[in-house]
Amino acid sequence: MRGEREIGGLRCSQVLAQLSEYFDGELGDLERGRLEAHVRECDHCARFGGVFAAAVRALHTKLRASALAPAVRERLRARLELPPRRT
Amino acid sequence: MSVSDRELLQRSASGDRAAFDAFVERHGADVFRYARWVAGDETDAEDVLQQTFLDAWNAAGDARAENGARAWLVSIARRNALRVSSRRGAAREQSLEELGELAGFGDPEHTPERVARAAEQRGLVEDALAALEPEEREILVLRDVEELPGASVAELLGLSLAAQKSRLHRARLRLAAQLRRHCGLEQQA
Ligand SMILES: [Zn+2]
Repeated sequence: MRGEREIGGLRCSQVLAQLSEYFDGELGDLERGRLEAHVRECDHCARFGGVFAAAVRALHTKLRASALAPAVRERLRARLELPPRRT
Repeated sequence: MSVSDRELLQRSASGDRAAFDAFVERHGADVFRYARWVAGDETDAEDVLQQTFLDAWNAAGDARAENGARAWLVSIARRNALRVSSRRGAAREQSLEELGELAGFGDPEHTPERVARAAEQRGLVEDALAALEPEEREILVLRDVEELPGASVAELLGLSLAAQKSRLHRARLRLAAQLRRHCGLEQQA
């Protein structure tokens, strides 16, 4: 990878591979410590970690809308009125 | 305190329409959002939404609500979505390193602030998501929009936990790469 280096016994590509597990809180203490030690010393990984986190955060904050649009809700209600219960 | 999903479903199973209406009200938006991203267009998504709650009404008695009603609903929605759309192209395999570079690893211009600024525009985030392969889009919606737990999503998609994690990670990198492309376009404009 462009600008790849090894810091704290970890290469940048190994940091990259673990980013999701890191942000999801799935790394063990040892692995997390090693990753954080690398990122403290590596500007590439620090910046990229931030880029990655911002992209994932955008999904939740921008796309998690609050409610169904009124027209969609009305059509759903209408459809659910019709059928007799199957037993 | 609000009534639990399990209780609403139990009441629905014995024919209580008001309980089912409350259940629809609680989960309708989540199901619709999932359907919209997976089925591809609004009309198909509404069809999936309606069919899903019809199925849920009919199956309320055997709902696996102990695993979470949302995961149960999504599994129904998924079956319906697969029926309306005959997509499912396999994502092109790229190495993680390639994906990382596309997403801006080693690019000093591409900063978290720049991504956050671009992501202020909802339309841009939607475009980035829409540009992904269906399989990638689906896992991002399940994990990062709906925030379902990894174990539920793995079960839903018929994947091992490890395979689910790997697909999620690649999908996130591909999303980050799409957002970077959009940042670039925005700059040129
Ligand atoms: Zn690094």
